[in-house]
Amino acid sequence: MSWNRVAVVGAGLIKFGELFEQSYEQMAAGAFQAATGAVDRGFDPQDIDGVFIATQRGSLWGQEGIGGNTVPTAIGLAGVPCTRIENACPSGSDAFRIGAMAVASGVHDAVLVIGVEKMRDKSTDEGLLSRAAAGHPVLTRGETAPVLFAPFATRHMHEYGTTREMLASVAVKNHHNGARDPYAHFQNEITIDDVLKSAPVCHPLHLLDCCPQTDGAAAAILVNADRAGEFTDKPVYVAGFGVATDHPYLHEKQSFTGLKATALAGERAYRMAGVEPGQIDCAEVHDCFTITEILDIEDLGFVDKGKGGVASLDGETSLTGRIPVNTSGGLLAKGHPIGATGVAQLTECWWQLRGEAGERQVESRHGYALQHNVGGRGSGVSVVNILTTNP
Amino acid sequence: MAVGAAAPARRLAAANVAGAWGRGGGRGQVAVCAPDEDVLTLSAEAAARAIASSGLQNDIVDGVWWGTTRPPFAEGPSHSVLASALGLSSHSGGALCSGSPHAGMDALLAAADAIAAGTARVAMVVAADALVPGPGTTYEERAGAAAAAVVLVSDGGNASIAARITRTHPFLDRYRADGEFGTRDVYDSRLFREEVFLPIVGEVGEQLASLDVDEWSLPDPDGRLGAAIGRKLAEGAPASAGAYTAVGDTGAAAPLLGALGALDAARTVGVIGFGGGRATGIVIDAEGPVRGAAAAADAWAGGQPVSYAEALRVRGQLQPTGETIPMGVPPQSAPFVRGAEEMLGLLGARCVDCGTINTPPTIHPYCISCGSTKFELVPLARRGVVHTFVVNHTMPPPFEAPLPLAVIDLDDGARVMLQVVGDGSDMQIGARVELVLRRYAFERGVPVYGFKARAVSGMRSTEESMGAPG
Repeated sequence: MSWNRVAVVGAGLIKFGELFEQSYEQMAAGAFQAATGAVDRGFDPQDIDGVFIATQRGSLWGQEGIGGNTVPTAIGLAGVPCTRIENACPSGSDAFRIGAMAVASGVHDAVLVIGVEKMRDKSTDEGLLSRAAAGHPVLTRGETAPVLFAPFATRHMHEYGTTREMLASVAVKNHHNGARDPYAHFQNEITIDDVLKSAPVCHPLHLLDCCPQTDGAAAAILVNADRAGEFTDKPVYVAGFGVATDHPYLHEKQSFTGLKATALAGERAYRMAGVEPGQIDCAEVHDCFTITEILDIEDLGFVDKGKGGVASLDGETSLTGRIPVNTSGGLLAKGHPIGATGVAQLTECWWQLRGEAGERQVESRHGYALQHNVGGRGSGVSVVNILTTNP
Repeated sequence: MAVGAAAPARRLAAANVAGAWGRGGGRGQVAVCAPDEDVLTLSAEAAARAIASSGLQNDIVDGVWWGTTRPPFAEGPSHSVLASALGLSSHSGGALCSGSPHAGMDALLAAADAIAAGTARVAMVVAADALVPGPGTTYEERAGAAAAAVVLVSDGGNASIAARITRTHPFLDRYRADGEFGTRDVYDSRLFREEVFLPIVGEVGEQLASLDVDEWSLPDPDGRLGAAIGRKLAEGAPASAGAYTAVGDTGAAAPLLGALGALDAARTVGVIGFGGGRATGIVIDAEGPVRGAAAAADAWAGGQPVSYAEALRVRGQLQPTGETIPMGVPPQSAPFVRGAEEMLGLLGARCVDCGTINTPPTIHPYCISCGSTKFELVPLARRGVVHTFVVNHTMPPPFEAPLPLAVIDLDDGARVMLQVVGDGSDMQIGARVELVLRRYAFERGVPVYGFKARAVSGMRSTEESMGAPG
């Protein structure tokens, strides 16, 4: 069976942060305008024949009503088909994958993928509790988000000699990049000492090892590649994607030095795109915590297993390094409005491939950029998308 | 007969309580619960130690007779939660005695009667209290927490209850009305001493003394009455003095707790319990050392100091302002009904085809290793090794930080992830841990129980402190 090739002709996001003054619908509208406004030759919103909306926070966030019907009306597209995608932290990247499949199949011709998340309408305490109280009534009690990743840090340090300085170097690098990204929640540089001396959150992770709670929205416009020329001379194509699941509970994991879902999703995406990790020019990976980025770059094949900490400390993932990672500032500095995160990462990849990343621009060698999320209880789901400028 | 005891590790100095109310003085200390301890968790720990000492399997225990002034649910499944946590058969019986510190003696005698009547062959008696004195009462400095457990068997033991006597007298001493939280003090301590305590406890004691009692466990609710009654009955301090000094007045637990240590040799021990207008005395004839008795005092040795404010907070007498955020899963809801046995009985599902233990069973219709759907339910091993861990420092109420959590490889090969007792300073990869029942939360007004891991360290470990069954 042959699929249509899919092009991304527009992408954009709103400035991430604590957006107390904006409603969910206003954030969605802002991202939609950013994406359509980024289309080189202009874009008539009425061309959109399908919308995929990623929002992760469900019933506990009072957004039970945010199904597929809420966003089209809010952005002037009432009547257009729309489906809500919820797949934990990869919700945005999975909405992109599903949107791409909708275009690839020929069912849709021009699709809007939009991720919107209100993280700060509820207090941080209530946010923590909703996670800590989810799942099995007793066996998972007390698992705030850092508890899902900190055990990997403990074990990675034990098995590979990874140090807190190595973890901290990830936060320092991502804040350096975030300081060059006008859309980032945090735009300040930090030092390794700042990270080490920040308050303990979940041993061995400290405050600056953790991403903030951030409101935000991001959007992308996907069209049948045959039509890309109507919109731009610089199309970016969907080269491949992969999604994978793993056991949802930590005690079901065999290993605490890597995330199986990430490795599987990466393998599938590389195979579909026909590329090797060495052909990726830059990557936006899931750095909800510093340890997560270290696991990611190992699981995605950018460095050998166990070497992620050393590679980060040595600058291999910096803007000028061998494989620049999280040039946007990542979740650590740009923020992590869950449903929006993946779409915002893809927007950074789109800018990098089009040479529009400003101070953050990395060298284009092979014309491939990779985007990755992992999440859910026990990092049980991961999505990898690969974009390319190669026709 | 075999015995076991448990007490919280936290100690509150009487001087701290006295100082808070502008009084001078304050002698001694009492044991107070940690946030995840209560009368039920103390009872479970004492009972587990008694069973371990007995050398019996918990599933042959016919019932648990539980005496406590104040059960964890004012109305509710107190008894069935304890029985389930002890791994007793779902057909096990017994009774919950409560309402005054006399409840411990009620439970002991009811169990002895069940054995005598032949309706039980193995009976677990647990007497426990974590007293909640009204703030500002004089006996606040004296109110402690502990549990004592005794396994009674119909034959084969080397100790027996040789005599019993009860004296009742309807009067108000310490009491609590429906809807009140803290227990009220006696109205007039001189009236109580001269007209109530000394006459009726004295009368019971004198009758027991005719049986040539070697050692005594005597009530001492205020730190002076015990000595007063002791002068009438015993030469020197009673055997119960050590436990009172270490953990204070432990209410329903006190009579048995005070007797345990004396059962480490062939002796006749007189035990008097008092409360709620009743005094009951028994004589225990031990023909030789009772299993677990020699190590009983280890349960209340040592301890770490806590402030008065912390003790108040744990007892629920110091409440934060503002609304608390309810947990997502109400304790009355279907997940708790489905999960009751696997949480409290600590069950796993062993795959019949590959042997992998899946936990918890209800969320694993397919084996995580081989995909089989054939399982047998098995109780999980209660000991293991830490594979990895964290210490969570950011936990809003009702949680308390720091909260350690660990992924543990149990000795039967099962892997579990559980909260860990303490502040995490004793956690490291490879550390040995044991699983103990703890109160996970106090949610919507009721306790929620589950197992936590605790680093195995010397005396506070069940296995190490009790040694092999003797």
